Parts: sequence; C-alpha cells; structure tokens
Amino acid sequence: MAGIDTHFLSWIVFLPLLFAFAGLLIPAKGTAGQTAMRLWTLLGSLITFGVSVSLYINYRPEGADFQFTETVPWISTLGASYALGVDGISLWLILLTTFLMPLAILGSFSAIENRVKEYYFLLLALETAMLGAFVSLDIFLFYVFWEAMLIPMYLLIGIWGGKERIYAAMKFFLYTLVGSLLMLVAIFYLAHQHKLQMGAYSTNILDLYKLQLEGGTFWSAQSILFLAFALAFAIKVPLFPLHTWLPDAHVQAPTAGSVILAAVLLKMGGYGFMRIGFPIFPESVAYFQLTFMILGTIAIVYGAWVAMVQPDIKKLVAYSSVSHMGYVIIGLFSLNEIGVTGSYYQMLNHGISTGALFLLVGVIYERRHTRDISAFGGISKVMPMFAIVFMIITLSSVALPGTNGFVGEFLILLGAWKVNPGLTAVATTGVIFGAVYMLWMFQRVMFGPVTNPENQKLKDLSLREWTVLAPLVAAVFVMGIYPNLFFEKLEPSIQRFIMKSTTNRTAPPQSLFSDNSK
Amino acid sequence: MEPLKTIRPELLTMSEEQIRVLMPYFVVFGGAIVAMLGSVLKKLSPKWPVFIITLATLFAGVWVSIGLIPEGPVTLFNGMMAADSFSNFFNTVFLLAAALSVMVSFRYLDREGLQLPEYNVLILFSVLGMMLLASALDFIVLFIALELMSLAVYVLVGFRRADRRSNEAAMKYFILGSAASAVLLYGTALLYGCTGTTAIKGVVHLAQAEPAAVTPVFVLGVAMVVFGFLFKVAAAPFHMWMPDVYEGAPVPVTGFMTTGLKAAAFAAFFRVFINLGLAQGATEVVQRHFHDIFWVCAVLTMVIGNFVALTQTNLKRMLAYSSIAHTGYLLVGFVTGTRSELGFAAGTMYVVAYAIMNLGAFAVLTLLSGKDDSGLNLHDLSGLSRRHPILAFALSVFLLSMAGIPPTAGFAAKYLLFSSAVQAGEISLVVIAVLCSAVSVYYYLRVLVYMYMHEPIGSPQTLRVSIWAGVAVAAMVVLTLQVGLIPERMVNIAKKAVIGM
Repeated sequence: MAGIDTHFLSWIVFLPLLFAFAGLLIPAKGTAGQTAMRLWTLLGSLITFGVSVSLYINYRPEGADFQFTETVPWISTLGASYALGVDGISLWLILLTTFLMPLAILGSFSAIENRVKEYYFLLLALETAMLGAFVSLDIFLFYVFWEAMLIPMYLLIGIWGGKERIYAAMKFFLYTLVGSLLMLVAIFYLAHQHKLQMGAYSTNILDLYKLQLEGGTFWSAQSILFLAFALAFAIKVPLFPLHTWLPDAHVQAPTAGSVILAAVLLKMGGYGFMRIGFPIFPESVAYFQLTFMILGTIAIVYGAWVAMVQPDIKKLVAYSSVSHMGYVIIGLFSLNEIGVTGSYYQMLNHGISTGALFLLVGVIYERRHTRDISAFGGISKVMPMFAIVFMIITLSSVALPGTNGFVGEFLILLGAWKVNPGLTAVATTGVIFGAVYMLWMFQRVMFGPVTNPENQKLKDLSLREWTVLAPLVAAVFVMGIYPNLFFEKLEPSIQRFIMKSTTNRTAPPQSLFSDNSK
Repeated sequence: MEPLKTIRPELLTMSEEQIRVLMPYFVVFGGAIVAMLGSVLKKLSPKWPVFIITLATLFAGVWVSIGLIPEGPVTLFNGMMAADSFSNFFNTVFLLAAALSVMVSFRYLDREGLQLPEYNVLILFSVLGMMLLASALDFIVLFIALELMSLAVYVLVGFRRADRRSNEAAMKYFILGSAASAVLLYGTALLYGCTGTTAIKGVVHLAQAEPAAVTPVFVLGVAMVVFGFLFKVAAAPFHMWMPDVYEGAPVPVTGFMTTGLKAAAFAAFFRVFINLGLAQGATEVVQRHFHDIFWVCAVLTMVIGNFVALTQTNLKRMLAYSSIAHTGYLLVGFVTGTRSELGFAAGTMYVVAYAIMNLGAFAVLTLLSGKDDSGLNLHDLSGLSRRHPILAFALSVFLLSMAGIPPTAGFAAKYLLFSSAVQAGEISLVVIAVLCSAVSVYYYLRVLVYMYMHEPIGSPQTLRVSIWAGVAVAAMVVLTLQVGLIPERMVNIAKKAVIGM
C-alpha cells in the first residue's frame, strides 16, 4: 500500500474509517446481511489492532521523543498542521484502544439487532477519532478529533441506549462540549502567544512547550489557561465534582458504548493532562497541585461510597470508575516518576477491568434484561464459568496483588505519599471501600440460594463470550505479573514528561527502580 | 470624487475594462429582462423557459464573477461603484445562493400551486440589488441597491398570497424595512449635510482631515447609518421583525433571505465601515463609539438569538433565531476586525460558511415541508433517519456545522473568527461567544434527537426529491465538509477579497 512507511500513523488512524465507509456498501438487510456487517467490522478492527501491534514492535523507547512522525501544513494562516507522532505515553493508549475495539464489537454481536449498519459504522468512526486524538501532535488537530469523538458516542448512547438514553446522551454531549469550548479559547490564546513570542502562529504542541507564560498566581495567564484546559480534561476524566454525566451515560449506553466510554474516552482526560496540560503549564501544575490532589481524593472516597449503595450493577461500576479515576488524578499530580507511572498504568488497568466489567454486565443483561442486584443471587451455581471470570475481574478491580490493579494503585499511593502523606492516607481508605462495594456486589449476585426462578435456567458463557473475555482475563494477569513489559517502552517518555512538567526543568529525573531507597 | 461642474465626456463613455468588470451586472440584468419577457409568453407555458433562463443567468453570472475575483479594483461611474475582488467574491456568493434557491424551489412551487414566473424574476432582481450593494461606494447607490434588493424580497415573502401568515410577514417586513431604510437615508442626509458629499470615502477623508467636522450631528448621522444596517442584518435589539418574517415566508425564500440578504447586508457593512470610522487613522471618538455599540450589540444578539431559539419547536422559527445568533458571531468579527491579522477576512469567511450550511438546511426543509409549509415542527421529523436516511444525514451535517462541531465549515469559520477576536484582545467577548455556542448545541442536537432517536410517527410518506434539489443539497454537503477539512483555500480567497478592496 502506498506510503505505508511514511504515513504509518495515518494508516492506523484512518483504517477504521476506511472500513466504516466500505461497510456502507454492504447491503445489511436480513440476517445474512447483518452478519456480514458484523464480521466486516470485526475484521476492520482486528486489522487495525494488527497494524498497531507492529507499531509497538517498531517503537524504540531509547529513540527520539516522538517517532513515526508526519507533518503536513494544514491551515498556514493559523499555524495549524497535520502533525502526528507517538511516544510511550500515546503508544499504550493506542494499543488499549485497538485491543478493546474488536472485543467491544464482538461483544455486541447479539445485543444490537436494529440499525446494525449505522451502529458499526459509528463504532469504527469513533475508533478513528480516538486514535486520532492520541497521535495528534498539533493542538488544533487534537481538538478536531476530540470533538469529533462526541458525535458517534452521542448517537451510540442516544439511539441504542436504555430508557433514559436521550437525556443521558444530551447531558454527555453538553458537559463535554462546554469544557472543550473554553479549551478552544485557550488554544486561540496559545497560538497568539506563540506568534508574539516566536514570530509565527503555531499550534504544534512541541512548539507550545517552549512558550514562556507568566505564572505562579491565580490570575496569571498560565493559571487561567491551565484551568481552561483542566476543565475540559477534568470533565472527561471525570473528576469530582464534574462527574455527574458519567453515571447517566454509562448506565444508558449500550454495552459496547459503555466499554469504549470507560476504557478509552475517560483516558482522553488523563492523556490530555499528560500531553498538553502539564508540559505547557508547569508552574500552574505546581500551583494547583494540592487542589487537584484534594479533588482526586474526594473522588476516590466519594465514588466508592456512592458505588456501595447502588442497586444497579452498571451504575455501581460507573461510580467505581469515578473512584478509580480519582487515583489517576492524584498519581499525576504527585508529579514524581513513581506516581505518574502508576497513574498511567492505572489508566490502562481501568480500561481493561472496567471494560471487562461492562462486558460481563452486558452478558447477564442479555439473558435477564435487568441489572438490578436484587434480581440476582446464586448465579455462580447456574453459570459457574461466568462467575469465575467475574471473580477475576472483580479482584483486578479491587487491586488484589497479582492482578493489574494492584500495580497501578500501589505505585500511585507510593508516589502520592512522597508529596502528601495525609491525603494519601485518606485515599488509601478508598482501596478498602473499593473492596467492600465490589465484593459485596459479587456476593449478592453470585452466592446464596437461587431465589429468583427466572435465574434457574441461565446459560453459561457461549464460545463467543469466551472469546471476548479471555483476552481481557489474560491481560489482567500479564499486567499484574509482568508490568516491566509495559514500563520498558514507557519509562523514557515518562521521564521526559516529568522533566517538562516540573518548573525546575534542569533537575535530573528520578529513576523508578534504582533509587527506591530515598 | 470631485464635484461635477460640467458634464465631462469621459464620464459618459466606458472603457473596455469597465465594461468587462461590469459583465456580472449586465448578465444578471439582461437575464432578468429576458426572463420577464419570457414570463409573458401566452401560448407557451412559461414555467420551463423562465426556470432555464434564470438558472442559466445565475450560473453565467457565477462564472463571470469567479473569473473576475483575482482582478484589481476598478472604480466606476465617477467613484460611485467599485468592482474589485471583494465585490466579485460576494457576487459569487449571492449568485450561488440564488441559484440553489431557484433549484430547490422548482418542485416546491409546483406543489404549492405557485409556479409563477415572477418568482424567478424577483429573485434575479433582488440578486442584482445585492450585487450593487456589495460594490457601492456611495451612499446614494447603496440606498438604491438596498431598496432594489428589499422591494423584490418583500414581494417574495408574501408570495403565498392565500396564506395569512405570509401576508402578515410581508406587511410587517415592508413597514419595518421601510422605516429602517428611512433611518439609513436620514443618516446619509445628515452626513451629507456635515461633509457635503455622499461618497463614503469622501466622508471619511473629510472626517480625518478636519476633526472639527466631527460634530454631534456627524456622529448622529453615522449612528443612524449603523442602526439602519443593524436592522437589515437583524442584530438585537433590532431583530424583532425577523422570526415572524422568516416563519411566514415560503421556505425556500426564507433560505434565500437568511443567506443572500444577510451576506449582502454584511458585505455592504464591511465595505462601509472598513472605509468609514473603523479604518485605521480614523477619528478616535467614532472608533470608540463603534466599538462599544458593536460590542453590546454582539453580546445581546448572541444571547437573545441562542436563548430564544432554545424554546422553539418550529424548525423555521428555530433557524430564524439561530440566524440571529449567527449575526451575533459575525458582529464579533466586526468588533475585532481591524485589530487582528486576518482582519475582516475571518468575518467574510464566516458569511460564506454560514451561507453554505444555511442554504443546505433550508433546502432540506423545503423538501420536507408539507402543503402550506406545514410539517416543519420538531415532532414531524421523528424517525426521519428511517424514512429518509440521506436527507436526515444531510440535515445533520448542516446543523452540526451551525453548531460549530468539527470537521465542518461552521467549525473552521468559527475557529478563524474567534481566534482573530482573541488576537484582538477581546477575550471576554470570545468567552461569551463560545458559551453561547455551547447553548446553541442543545437546540441543534434536539433536531438530531428527533431524527435519529425517536420512532417514526404516522405512515411513512414517500418524499419525492427532484434532481435539482438533490444536486443542490449534495453540493452543499460536500462544500460544508470540504471547507471544514481544508479551509485554507477559502481563507486565502477571503483574505484576497478583503485586502483587494
């Protein structure tokens, strides 16, 4: 294929969209047509995954900051360019996206029966937008992808969602949009500043890293700009108190929508902080460090408490997301290598385990058409295999040693402890509450006698469902037992990130594994 | 312009160059006359011939105007008119808007039993008015052009003679429009009294040369001219007429008005105020006054337009308020035009983007409307994505573009407009503007909710889409996405147009 070497990232980003458009030509009438559509989409996402694996293989952690770069001038009047590139930070999120996409698609084979063609078109379009946001090295391009994500997600929730789907879809859209519009104003300002300082407009992120912005006080340019970006990212994360759109969107979205939303879209927030928020505004990060750590801690504890009392499994998982993403925030804002690495790892973990939880909830929902915890009980007797997988994922979410969750949360708490032991102690209670709500839910759903006669004849996991869940279970253990596989390609990028994001840009980076003695 | 004392023969003859740059006007004028003659043919049905003549005229005009865009300015008629890249750029926009409206109207007129040749002829005349408006350098020419445009449109608004709302709209528009024209004319008279000239440049030069000439009367004259224009573009607080008129007018006429008329008024606005007052080196007082007036107007227009649109359930009325909101965004470009790098090019670009997406939206509405413009309430669109997926998709593209979601023309234009406002230091204004556009997303998306997320109601009626209308809608979708993805070219043309003035 033409230009596969020089336009490697473009191929990855736009492959799903190509498949989406080609899929429009499939006549999706009747059962055969629908099956063809499903398989075509699955094929598209698998090929994208395959291509992204070769990205992983060819990425050299010791090489340049950004690899596989492409730059094409786009709107020269504004300095916007089509600039793509990958570093360790985007690499794993790209892989997470392409890894989960086929699973989400396969997971919705039987759940979606009306308007099949549109559904899969939107899923693939969404994948392109997400991948685009992860590889953009131009803030204008990033914004375009960031916004373009909203439309497919909005339609996915609004058309194939539950009862309150329209309300949830609208809320999701408006919340995200308000945040990102203020970010847009900040982008204008940055481009203008670049013109004033460097003599030409530029929205290239790497150029913007070099800007000197006055900071240090609340009303300084840097703080205001940082807050404009932080608002957009914090809504996406979502950080307490901006999280209220999430439970609605999660609960109403179809299974694949929830999976993608939790696993990838929420990561956009964290990624935004890492790619844009921190390195451009280092002084403000220091200035607002405590504020955000407090908010993150509140999110951890509050999310856990609220999750505990939810009668609906999906809503419980949604609030657990709020809690887990709180860890990401305190890890990031602890601004040392251990915390940031843990925080990044936690994003991946959350993608895997929450994605898996939503898929599992989808499995049981397809059989029973309810998600009320009280409607279940004793499921482990009827569906033993399902119960085992559910258990593994639950433990990963609870952060049991040996699973992926443990590595992330442990590093985060370790990193945060160095900065603020008091808050870290409070945050640690979240780990306990996390175990409480997850295990309690598991107990009520799985154990005890089968009280509800409707639960007597449930079928255990089908081959297709096994295919969806097995890779996730494998990922839980691989990430839990051999995290070095991930850190290897990540570490140099994280070090560079820390260096850019701390005001003292000359300080040598701490190494994660060599000086734990400090 | 020097005052005419004796008749100078060179003013009575035109050079070849002048005739060449006047070609677009000749084409449209000639076409209008021929169409008018064609419409009185008794034996032949005038329907097809007039339609063909009109379309041929408009596209010939587009062709000629596009060819003239790169050319330098030529002053005509002793400095009363200019043919430059700016005027030709806008001529292209007007002519295209008219052509698309004519294409979309064809079957609509059949269905409503209004297939009268006068419709097309009136569109041609109003386009001629718009073209003159965009090239006027003299207040008298400006006024005549404005009236030529408006009078034709007054009639078009009342074209559904049997409908009471259409009549009401025409009457309201006529009376209020005349009042506004009177205000504009009175302002011109005051300026003439102060400066002794009706040439726009003459007024400015005098004000610059003799600060003493900037008397309160002069400022009043300028203010009245401004208010006259603000009325024409329907900026708050002069917007009251607009929703009723838009709702009452036949759908394709509404589409034509929101684009052609608005673009024309803004074109004249740009030309007058780039020359007058806001231009560099103009008097401080006038400049400061302008800034404050436009600032307040922009905020009011955006807030009123967007918030009132939230509560509308009729699509035509909703788009009318959204049109007010877009006027507000354009005024943002106006406030900041002189102090940013792109200058008025950002505003010009926005006019074009707005014309594209709005024409498209109204084209779709025309196709969807039932007898007597019924069937344009939100719930009538329920499940449109099932009944007519292509039209639903097209309408979604236009609405998302108006909401400013990438990758559409609306986003690119908004990005340019607001970023030049930030360059000009108007950050608070931009923050208000983006928050208003966040509000606007709600009502645009609500249409999508009905189209995609509600079950279809009633029997699936079969929509018949004529080839003409289909081509028009498809072209607008392509343009919306093309300008959104690769805005560079359009920006460059807009820049050239503004600089070449």
